Amino acid sequence: MFDISPTEWTAIQLSLRVATVATLVATPLGIAVAWLLARREFWGKSIADAVIHLPLVLPPVVTGYLLLLTFGRRGLVGAWLADHLGIVFAFRWTGAALACGIMSFPLLVRPIRLSIEAVDQRLEQAAGTLGATPWRVFLTVTLPLALPGVLGGMVLGFAKAIGEFGATITFVSNIPGETQTISSAIYSLIQTPDGDTAALRLVVVSILIAMAALIASEWFARRATQRLHGN
Amino acid sequence: MLRVDVSKQLGAFSIEASFASEGRVTGLFGASGAGKTSLINMIAGLLRPDRGIITLDGETLDDTAAHTHVAVYRRRIGYVFQDARLFPHLDVRQNLDYGRRMNRLAEDPAARKRVIDLLDIGNLMDRRPGRLSGGERHRVALGRALLSQPRLLLLDEPLGSLDEGRKEEILPYLVRLRDEARIPMVYVSHDATEMRQLATQIVMLRRGRVAAFGGTEVLPTAALPA
Amino acid sequence: MHRLYMSRLAGLFVAFAILCGSAFSPALAQDNSLTVFAAASMKNALDDVDAAYTAKTGVKIVASYAASSVLAKQIEQGAPADIFLSADTDWMDYATTKKAINEPTRLNLLGNSIVLIAPKDSSIDHVTIGQGFDLAKLADAGKIATGDVSSVPVGKYAKAALEKLGAWEAAAPKFAMAESVRAALTLVARQEAILGIVYSTDAKVDPAVKIVGTFPADSHPPIIYPVAATTTAKTEAAGYLAFLRTSAAKAIFEKYGFSFLVSPTT
Repeated sequence: MFDISPTEWTAIQLSLRVATVATLVATPLGIAVAWLLARREFWGKSIADAVIHLPLVLPPVVTGYLLLLTFGRRGLVGAWLADHLGIVFAFRWTGAALACGIMSFPLLVRPIRLSIEAVDQRLEQAAGTLGATPWRVFLTVTLPLALPGVLGGMVLGFAKAIGEFGATITFVSNIPGETQTISSAIYSLIQTPDGDTAALRLVVVSILIAMAALIASEWFARRATQRLHGN
Repeated sequence: MLRVDVSKQLGAFSIEASFASEGRVTGLFGASGAGKTSLINMIAGLLRPDRGIITLDGETLDDTAAHTHVAVYRRRIGYVFQDARLFPHLDVRQNLDYGRRMNRLAEDPAARKRVIDLLDIGNLMDRRPGRLSGGERHRVALGRALLSQPRLLLLDEPLGSLDEGRKEEILPYLVRLRDEARIPMVYVSHDATEMRQLATQIVMLRRGRVAAFGGTEVLPTAALPA
Repeated sequence: MHRLYMSRLAGLFVAFAILCGSAFSPALAQDNSLTVFAAASMKNALDDVDAAYTAKTGVKIVASYAASSVLAKQIEQGAPADIFLSADTDWMDYATTKKAINEPTRLNLLGNSIVLIAPKDSSIDHVTIGQGFDLAKLADAGKIATGDVSSVPVGKYAKAALEKLGAWEAAAPKFAMAESVRAALTLVARQEAILGIVYSTDAKVDPAVKIVGTFPADSHPPIIYPVAATTTAKTEAAGYLAFLRTSAAKAIFEKYGFSFLVSPTT
């Protein structure tokens, strides 16, 4: 029962790699977006907020198809990227990372935004009077105080990225070793006559990863409260 | 030499204030809601006047006609807030050092020692703000503002939220500060007793307007409502 | 505290930079591998053939199995396949019109037949499939699983056969259309569907189903599996295609129930 075959192992490794890259790339952008939403008012803010949360409510296959139209080798942006920069997303693990990053983005932004909002702006004012430019205020006061929320958001986004399926399989299909993540592997295995045992193994792995992520996210949330009380 | 000539609309309330101060400690005196905090926030650069000019030692900090506004982080004006506002994620040592680092100043161990001794905070260095008493927090806030080497120090009711015992503990430090630190101060308070002890010049504010200007003789003998 | 925090941040971004650098690694190229897009029904047989090929030449085969319709569209979108093995000629023609197929390499490799299946323990058995065959009555209240009749090859063959036999109209509402023949097979194996129409080769690999009837060969267009190299294929593709024609490969395909349509080379 616990013998993991090479195909399953490849799928697990690929999922971890895709989810890690997706999270690491999405995080700086997520922090910037969260800061804008938390600290700035601007025309079209509610529209921007809605667009960011679209991947949560759109059918994942729709998101995947839109990605194909935009970033596929013949897509609007994808063709240019491939010809001029040699960057290819479609049917490659980088495309899987892109799909996962977009799908998990709303889950990443939300906790970060909340934790930035919870940072007392009077502290940021005080930092300004001590000579800190807005950028240094962000790096030395806002971000450290919001860090537990950032980490919590990253973990949540990571868990979502590991489990992503609909957008991924639509955009980059199901190529073992390149785009076959845990979810796609399970999907293929349950259509194979003797694949149920292997599928179950991967299901257990998925559940373990997801649970670890949720527990870690919870731990970071608790750290956030401690930190703000200066303990 | 601080020159202020500003007006600002804040909701239903408006401020129109004009004064020049040469003194070592300029007191902004008035009841709560008279506009004192808004006024020093404008001096600090945290609030922009609707109209007017603010200059310090000849340098223009705000000039609405010329669309000039020097950002708060470039003014080298220290600010001691009524609620201390120490950074909770840094210990006392790092809080004290914050202004020096942000202003990219060289380390000055002698100055540091002077301030730490002046305020008696040497034994608090490794503590986090959450573990300090109210009085200790105020002294550290004072030290933090001083160590950023400001050319003007603003103090917004630094004793306002403290009980009598605490006040009597801190007041001597402020007096020593005035006598030894040689940095001009603008001191906001509604307490005439404090003002009498500290200020050399008084600007009295009533409902957003300068009601009187002069030495300590303009202070009322009775305490104003808090 | 500051220093620790800053160095953690720096470490995070170094790791990120390294991972990003690996994004620029060349596409899918472990050199010495081929990517084969093959119809879902090929899975078991082709896995064995691929293993034999790798044992012989050392070239790794990465196989992606799905309905031929899905694969053809992916190839059209620029999927990095070297070989395309389709379950009908329509989808190979489609890929060809999209200029994705190296036409001179195309050949009709395999044949197959479609059968009616039921779960192993079903009471249904020994069904005669001929003109006037009443599939709807046989299915009764249950569902009939097959590939999507508008796109998936096995579904198209099934519908053609049923139309010819006069059984389509009545049975159509009872169809559960799956996205590939293997998905349909699984539906029957799990008894979610009471009957299914799949290839005889599929029925052979799943012990949870039994064949209860065979469709006459003249009731549907001949089932032909064409294979070809894509226009973006690596040079090793030629060697792979040649291997598919050998008697070693023939033996494996026939073992699984496919008919071999070309004369084998040794």
